[in-house]
Amino acid sequence: MAEPSSAPAGQPWYDVDRGLLDRRIYADPEIYAEELEKIFARAWNFVCHETQIPEPGDFFMNWIGEDEVIVVRDRTGQIQVLLNSCAHRGNTVCRAEQGNAASFLCSYHGWNFDLTGKLVGMPGEEEYYRSDIEKGQWGLGRAAQVDSYKGFVFATMDPSAPPLEDYLGWVGRLGIDTLATHGDLVAVDGVVKNRVKCNWKLAVDNLYDWYHVKISHGSAIRAGLLSHESMAYMDQMVILGEYGHGIGGPGLSEAQIAEFDARMASGEGEPQWYDLQAARRTDPKVREILGPVGSRCFGHPNIFPNLWVALTRQVCLRIPRGPLETELWWFTFMPKGISEEERRNSMFMANHVFGPAGLLEQDDGENWSHSTRGSIGAVTSRQPHYLRMGQGHDRVGEDDSGQHAIETVVNEHGQRWNYQSWQEWMLAESWEDLIASHSEPPKGTV
Amino acid sequence: MAAFEDLSLQERMLLTFEAEQFLFQEAALLDEKKLDEWLNLLTEDIHYWMPLRRTTTAKEIDREFTKPGDMALFDDDIRTLRLRVERLSAGRAWAEDPPSRTRRMVTNVRILEISGDETLLSCNFQLYRTRLASEEDSWIGRREDLLRRVDGELKLARRHIFLEQTVILAQNMSNLF
Repeated sequence: MAEPSSAPAGQPWYDVDRGLLDRRIYADPEIYAEELEKIFARAWNFVCHETQIPEPGDFFMNWIGEDEVIVVRDRTGQIQVLLNSCAHRGNTVCRAEQGNAASFLCSYHGWNFDLTGKLVGMPGEEEYYRSDIEKGQWGLGRAAQVDSYKGFVFATMDPSAPPLEDYLGWVGRLGIDTLATHGDLVAVDGVVKNRVKCNWKLAVDNLYDWYHVKISHGSAIRAGLLSHESMAYMDQMVILGEYGHGIGGPGLSEAQIAEFDARMASGEGEPQWYDLQAARRTDPKVREILGPVGSRCFGHPNIFPNLWVALTRQVCLRIPRGPLETELWWFTFMPKGISEEERRNSMFMANHVFGPAGLLEQDDGENWSHSTRGSIGAVTSRQPHYLRMGQGHDRVGEDDSGQHAIETVVNEHGQRWNYQSWQEWMLAESWEDLIASHSEPPKGTV
Repeated sequence: MAAFEDLSLQERMLLTFEAEQFLFQEAALLDEKKLDEWLNLLTEDIHYWMPLRRTTTAKEIDREFTKPGDMALFDDDIRTLRLRVERLSAGRAWAEDPPSRTRRMVTNVRILEISGDETLLSCNFQLYRTRLASEEDSWIGRREDLLRRVDGELKLARRHIFLEQTVILAQNMSNLF
């Protein structure tokens, strides 16, 4: 692809200093094909939560880019991540979205694979193949590495990817910890799935975007779903992590947390959403896990490339379906042992805020699909996206704990970091190259 | 009251006709976006629910739909239905401004059970939606509706909606079913 004439050397799509983004990255099929290789086939991808597949044989289907994977618990209790493509002619060997299986039998010629992906038999092994087939070599493809962090299972197709905990770094881990500290999480039955005609990256970067809330979700605010009070606390905290992870959104001060906590303790009035959240963050055990800065952070984490950890005890995958289409998958969790009332309140949030019928999310899809559509025209696509809000006006605060954060007003630091990192992933030839060439999260002025 | 199938043909025709006319009128209010009038057709204890549907093997087909209390596309009571309507009329409900154009087809009405003031029925529906120049969505499914006679008028006391889609092939569900 031709570089815009003004693109600095080594920054073909995102001009880091000027905060300008080439919008062709949202529509170009060649860039998309490269993303499948350099982003999805390389990254650690969230595949499911351990509690979705508790028993041997339980499986859940997911996608790593455009590669469909079977996430299955084998007979020894290990979680296997297998490519859903028969080694013989490429047919799928599993067609349900979830369930329990003894083995995976291909419907084309009957090759049969066990729960670890090993080819265990096929019709005519002696008569037709004359016993001349090395079954050990023709199993299902497997993820190069599978690991879990606090129950969240990730897989990478790249054997040279760093270990999961290193990949997540403190920011990715904090993102999951903000959810994991709710208790011993169990996945609620049902993953809400819908399709939006947008590029996956627009769905991802929206989670850092607290500029759109009052406009895009104006009707929800007017109708009282988002209270004016809860929207008043819009002081922002942005935390940027290695390899493109980040957290962006409200950050409360210690004084605000104390104020919410006192109001909860007084029992006066109906507790607001932030009261309940802030009260939880005063628990010393939670504070120890989240750290002094993380405890004040109420933003949206993104585990690069495409896992949003939402504040509603949910996570959402943005799964690419070609450059111009994305599937949104909402997973919901409840802590074990919570009261019926708390579960009911929490399910109310999960069922009414996000998802295609969600009172907030109904209005998001259209913005993303029209922004995607606006990346196709010969002339419009020459015009870069302007992501400069706050650039050069903020500082990364240094904390003795090592938890560095930007505390400021509504901004686009998260989006800028997302695209700077995305570009580094796309330019790197291998994990070795990416480890050597990627930027450390910024310090000082941002 | 006798079981529905034990009634005379005439009685069954009258009950079915009345239920159908209620469903057609109600669908027309939604198509015409007379949402406040539509709310008036609901009882205060309505449960309006659309579970998720998943592709399962034939052997595990009993796990196809999520159960009440788990994840759903709609799991609403009168309060949340009013909130949906209020939000749509509050301004800045962008997904419906410009408004979508919808047409609802309600067919195959079968009365399953009558009991006192209540009639439980099953019907098939198609909701066709188009918007702007080229957006097009179509949902087909089956509903179980519970109608209740309140002060002589029929009201909707329960609506359980079973879509044929698993992954929702639309960018939103800003409409009611």
